[in-house]
Amino acid sequence: MRRKGQGPFVLGFLAPAGLLYLVFVLWPLVQSLHLSTFQWSGLSPVKKFVGADNFQRLAADPVFWTSVRNTLILIVVCGVALIAGGVGLGHVVNEETRWARAIRSIYLYPQAVSLVVVAIIWYFLLSPQIGLVNNLLRAVGLGSWERAWLGEPQTALGGVAAAFVWYALGFYSLLFASGLKSLPAEVNEAAELDGSVRLHRFWHVTWPMLWPIKRVAVVYTVVNVVNTFALVIVMTRGGDPDRATETMLTYLYEQGFEVSRFGYATSIAVANFLVVMAISLAVLFWFRRDPTAARA
Amino acid sequence: MRTFGRILGALAGFLLFVGTAGPIAWVVVSSIKPGYMIPASPWSLPTQPAWGNFAKAWGTTGIGSGFVNSLVASLATLAILLPIGAMAAYVLSKYRFRGHGLVFGGFMGGMMFPHLLVIVPLFMLLRDLKGVDTLWGLILVYVAYSLPFTVFVLGGFFDSVPDELIEASMMDGCTHASTFWRVMLPLVKPGLAVVGIFAGIGLWNEYALAKVLLTSQAGFTLPVGLANLTMTQQYEADWGALFAALVIVMAPVILVYALFRDRVQQAMTAGALKG
Repeated sequence: MRRKGQGPFVLGFLAPAGLLYLVFVLWPLVQSLHLSTFQWSGLSPVKKFVGADNFQRLAADPVFWTSVRNTLILIVVCGVALIAGGVGLGHVVNEETRWARAIRSIYLYPQAVSLVVVAIIWYFLLSPQIGLVNNLLRAVGLGSWERAWLGEPQTALGGVAAAFVWYALGFYSLLFASGLKSLPAEVNEAAELDGSVRLHRFWHVTWPMLWPIKRVAVVYTVVNVVNTFALVIVMTRGGDPDRATETMLTYLYEQGFEVSRFGYATSIAVANFLVVMAISLAVLFWFRRDPTAARA
Repeated sequence: MRTFGRILGALAGFLLFVGTAGPIAWVVVSSIKPGYMIPASPWSLPTQPAWGNFAKAWGTTGIGSGFVNSLVASLATLAILLPIGAMAAYVLSKYRFRGHGLVFGGFMGGMMFPHLLVIVPLFMLLRDLKGVDTLWGLILVYVAYSLPFTVFVLGGFFDSVPDELIEASMMDGCTHASTFWRVMLPLVKPGLAVVGIFAGIGLWNEYALAKVLLTSQAGFTLPVGLANLTMTQQYEADWGALFAALVIVMAPVILVYALFRDRVQQAMTAGALKG
């Protein structure tokens, strides 16, 4: 609403937050586009304008494409695991059994501890040195499956994905649990029915009705997979073995802050930004309509 | 059939519980084992608690200074973020002016992209301001990147306060500003708590920005120091200290989370379910 003499007040109250935001968030965002057209070591004052050269080099850089591929694999694999697991666990934590209460009291702890801690825990779980996972396999007679999980190109990315899913699953469960609670009571009463009817009811009623939550969950996955940065840096030293866990953000970091190619690093950032935007828009388009409304 | 289902459910519940709590419990148990026992017999329980691990972690590994840096960075960020975030959220919630949509959209856009993408220009900017490797530099960056979420959540709280309170307060002779400080801000205290707790946990845990913006060991925050400790494999010499350090990092958030579980969950779902 408009009020008398509000002008200076509005300006004054917006100024502190607005200025900080402008200087530290919006200005660097604009600068990103600008910097990506230069060749620049960051140290010398010399910035050489190279136009679209960085992007041409990027297109021909096999490591960049490896990082794009790994990032997309993480988004898809973790996204599917988190949404499937989140719906399942969301049902569990809404119940009133003893196990449900016990799980409810702890399921968000992985999300609350630092990603660095998560990374270190999983590094040791998967390491050949301590290797709880290897120990466990041996204990159940699968000793032949033992391996240096993070040291082998075939399994390293999977190890990072497992750590990320462990970290984020609680949040997705919370999301779906609140989504399930907000559905009409008749849908939740399905719990009273027996197995096959319940499953049928889930696929044809509950699952489609959860579409707004699914949409949010997918967009979150795309934005949050960047969280794997900390995991990759700590678990596989930022991309080992042989780039098998290189992601777009770790490659950006390496190019910018380890080999000082600031212009090139910024072009990776711009490419990454476009990928994130493209996926998010595709998801929003895919889920643009309420599927339950369309049926009615 | 029904008992079978119940057993299966209990088994799944048990596995979920162990899978979630197990790794954390393992770290806590390991932190009071003598260092050499951790790689030698990772599953065993300590025969007698080695509390000395904590003293060593605090002193020799730099975790003590990291703890102080993290505490200062988190609390100072909140001290700036909450008032200026509340001021902006209030104006955007209760006043209409030219450019309102643009300002609001600008803030909300900040939640839609991974912050690490602007790290190169951000680093350059901070270097020009002589703010690289300083806590105040990191704090200003933290405030700026926490603003979108803060404005969004507090805006929701202000939306639910009736406009009539503003009119009444101004009728009583309050100015726009004193209406905010004396009437409106006290009404959204629960919102300040939600944002403060949730943002506080996030800041305490933040790694990526701190890793780039802090360059010398004395200035490291806890996550950066801990990651560094792991990557340089310093723990080879003293496993006990590393696991004690992990507990030192986890303990405050676990405590805050246990005390304020509902508020944290409210904050976690606020962005997702209303958006």
